[in-house]
Order: sequence, then structure tokens, then C-alpha cells
Amino acid sequence: MDDLGMLRDLGGELEHEPPASLARQRRRLADAAAGTVRVRGARRPGRWGLFGAVAAGTAALILVPSVLLSAGGGADPARHADPAAGAGTAMNLLLVGSDARRPGPARADSVVLAHLPADRAKVSVVSLPRDSKVRAPACGHPAGGGPRAAGTARLGAVYAAGGTSCLVKTVQAMTGVRVDRTMVIEFDGFRRMVDALGGVEITMPRALADRNSGLRVHAGHLLLGGAQALAYARARHLPGSDGSDLDRVGRQQRLMAALVGQAKREQLRNPVRFASFLKVAAGAIEVSPKLDLAGFRSLADSLGRTGADDVRIGVVPSRPDRADPLLLAWDQPAASRLFAEFEAGG
Amino acid sequence: MVSAMTAPGTGALSIDAPATGSDAELIERSRDDPEAFGALFDRYSGMLYRYVSRRLGPEAAEDLVGETFLAAFSRRDRYDVAQGDARPWLFGIATKLVSRHHRTEGARYRALRRSPVEGPVEGPADRVANGVTATASRPALSAALARLPRRDLDVLLLVAWGDLTYEEVARALGVPVGTVRSRLNRARRKVRAALGDTNPMHEEE
Repeated sequence: MDDLGMLRDLGGELEHEPPASLARQRRRLADAAAGTVRVRGARRPGRWGLFGAVAAGTAALILVPSVLLSAGGGADPARHADPAAGAGTAMNLLLVGSDARRPGPARADSVVLAHLPADRAKVSVVSLPRDSKVRAPACGHPAGGGPRAAGTARLGAVYAAGGTSCLVKTVQAMTGVRVDRTMVIEFDGFRRMVDALGGVEITMPRALADRNSGLRVHAGHLLLGGAQALAYARARHLPGSDGSDLDRVGRQQRLMAALVGQAKREQLRNPVRFASFLKVAAGAIEVSPKLDLAGFRSLADSLGRTGADDVRIGVVPSRPDRADPLLLAWDQPAASRLFAEFEAGG
Repeated sequence: MVSAMTAPGTGALSIDAPATGSDAELIERSRDDPEAFGALFDRYSGMLYRYVSRRLGPEAAEDLVGETFLAAFSRRDRYDVAQGDARPWLFGIATKLVSRHHRTEGARYRALRRSPVEGPVEGPADRVANGVTATASRPALSAALARLPRRDLDVLLLVAWGDLTYEEVARALGVPVGTVRSRLNRARRKVRAALGDTNPMHEEE
């Protein structure tokens, strides 16, 4: 054996296998990718960027409808009829991923609050876990979700019982943020959007299977069809996951981000497919107060220069509630501070 | 509904699919879509971890791999996309970061120099012979590593432990291939000299 061979042997003895904790380093990278380091001030508000890889350049949920529609392109400027949706006006959006497939009340699987400052230079997106503990509103009497301490409710249950308007009231009361528009994406619409796109590319760190959601994927870089993408977003009990709502929120954000990236690529590569995707997207998203296509485009155009690093995506800081550990109690004052930016940000 | 990226019938999507696509394509894409960079981590973090764990041990390796990808991410705009394989680039960054820990690394090799040979070697005769040779030579080998100048050491270990070719080492370190050759020759000469002192079974090339 020559010197290099001996050296290789020695190396083999010294080598260690990558530990599971190496995943933490991936999260660091994800945080950087989300541009979270740019958060103003010394203190990182709450969990900005925890799910950073999702930035993908875009506030996933908003961008599905808006940036993509802008790309729908060729938009004739005469149709920019709705200045309220365009630049010059700060806007807060409440985005809801809704499950209306089964009979009975629709359930919110994801609730996201987004702030678009007047100059659109930055966009902030905060996920509100559906397990968030909220003050029970007068508008909805949450039926499901088991007994709760008097006066409290689960955010998801509020939507199920009282619909979008009740959800808006509750979120406004909890955050102090004025909601200007809501956008509801039904999951079946989401599935059709993914299929219209020809699937969404995403990297799975490990194989996953979940009977409840019907999820079954192997590890590696995959092309997920609509149904599997939806299952991935919704699955609650996955190996390696802590089964928490936060884990699921992270997956949803990753997926949405991947979807935006995918759509942008298709736009260049396959305009025909992209056009059909746009049509499906426009039909799948319910906006209130209503936004016509021109309004959509106007909103989208105003976001046209908002770049990847200008979008911050996070989750409202929270921890398991002391009285009811199945609920997530928001951390105060961190949460309030976070939402204060939504008002102050212009 | 799930198909591997290489499966037929995925249409336009499969053409530039990351699973079959080059590292350069991933990096290029990550300029607009930062998440794409995560795929690079999935591809190479394990390999880099093994390499760094050899040089610095497992504790330092974890953090250093994270630093490597952070540094790479922030420099992704400057990556030469003509280079399809990102390994040399990543190894180069990791190697620079390792050099900040040269005291740790030196101490590690010096500790090996003193540590006793572990357990009996078992196996077929030739493997035993090799094993005996390798383990017996370990003190001399690690002593030689501890004494090598950093530049020579980097080249030697990128070849022996990183499995890079001369050209790849040149890219990693940003030096001409000729320099790689001369540093490697010098390093190997010293290692062989160190081994020659203690290892009568060693055959000179």
C-alpha cells in the first residue's frame, strides 16, 4: 500500500457519518435564503424565517394569484382600472387555504396574513397556525375541536363556524391589523392548479407515507402531482415530524414557494401550459372584496419589482398553551410587535 | 401521482429537472429562486461533512458545513455556470474555512500521533498485513500531517480525502494545475519520508 492508500485508510478511521442534526444547518441556509438576516433592528421578531427556504422569492400565497397573473402578461395598460389594488396603497391581505371538499362547513387548513407596504419594497407574510388560541368571537360558535376554556377558541374552528367574515373579525381583533382583502384558495382548486402546471418539483429529504392524507413519496427530488402535493401540504402525522401544526405550516409554505418557482419557470418554458394554469388559478381563488382581472393585474404589477430577498415569511411566535397544550398561545409582546409593523410599514 | 424526475411522460418539466440537471443549473436557478439552493445542500452536505469530520472532528464539522453553504449561497451570483459540477467550488470554500481552525486540526493529528493502536486486526491475511501496516504507520502518518505546511496539506487531503482530481483541486483552491502537482509531490515526499522511518514494509514508488 502506498502513502496515499495509507492516508485514505487513516481518513476512513477519522471519518464520521453525518448526524441527523445536520438538518439544523440546512435550516440556517433556509433562513439566509429567506433574507431574514435583513430584518430591521437588532431583535429578530419571533420566528421570522424559520421556514425560510420557502421564500422562493415570493410570498407564496399572494404570488400565486398576483405575480403569476401579472405574468399572464401582455396586459393592456388601459385595463389597470383598480388603483386600490396597485402601488401607492398599503394593503393587508388575509389568505386562507380552505378545505371545502367535504359536506359541511369549510375548514381552514392555512391562514396567512400578508402586508404589502405602499411602495411594495418589502412584503411580509406571517402564517397564523390554525391551532392558535384566539378569543372566541361573537360571530361564530365553534362547534368542533372539543371543549375549550370559556372564551377561547381555535382559529381554525372560528373559520369553520363563522366563515371568512368571522375569521377576518377574529384576526383583526387578535392582531390589531386591518384586513383589506381576503383571498380564499380551496384545496381542490389548489390541486387543479398544480396539475395545470404539470406538477410541482420539490425535494423530499426522506420518504414519506401517511395513510390519512394518502401521501406516499420517496426521498429525493420529485415531481408531485396535484393530489400528492395537496396530501403533502395537509398531512399531519409524518415520521420525523413533531406532528405539530407548525410542522405542517412549514410544509405548506415550502410547497407554495416551490409552486411559485415552478410557475415562473413554466412561464418561460411553456407559455401554453402557463396560460392554462393562470386560468385555473384565477378561477380557484376567491377574492373579497371582489377583485376583477384588471384589479388582479394591477396588484400583480405593483409587486413586479418585489424581489426574492424582499419577502419575509414567518410564523407568529407561539408556544403550547399552558391550560390546553393542543392550542398555541401567541407570545406577547413579540406577536404584537410583529403586527405593529403591518400598520407602521406604510 | 408521484413520478421520479427521470420518468418518461413528464413533458417539458423533465428537460431541466434538477435530479438530472447539473449543479450549475441549480445554482443559476437559485439566483431567482433561493430555495433551489437547498437541493445543493441535500446533494453535498453529507459528503462535505465526512471530509471535514476527518480534518476537524465531528463537532466542528457540523457548524463548518453550515458555514460553507451559507458562504456559497451568498456567492452564488459569482459562480461560473460553465462549471457543471459544484463539488470543487464547495470543497474550496470548506477548505478555506477549515484553515481558520488550523490549531484544532494540528492538535487532532498530534493527538493521533500519541494515541495507542486500537484493538487486534482480524481478517484475511493480506488485509491483516495491510491493516497492520496502516495502523502501525498511523503515528508517523499523523505526525507528518501535523507538520505539513497548510497549502501542501490542503492539496494532499483534497486528493486523498476529498477524492478530487488535480484539475478539481486547482479549481477549488484557485491555483494552476501545475501548482497542485508540485504541492502534492512535495507533500507526498514528506509523508513517504516519515513513513519510511518507521515502516520497513513500505515500498517506494
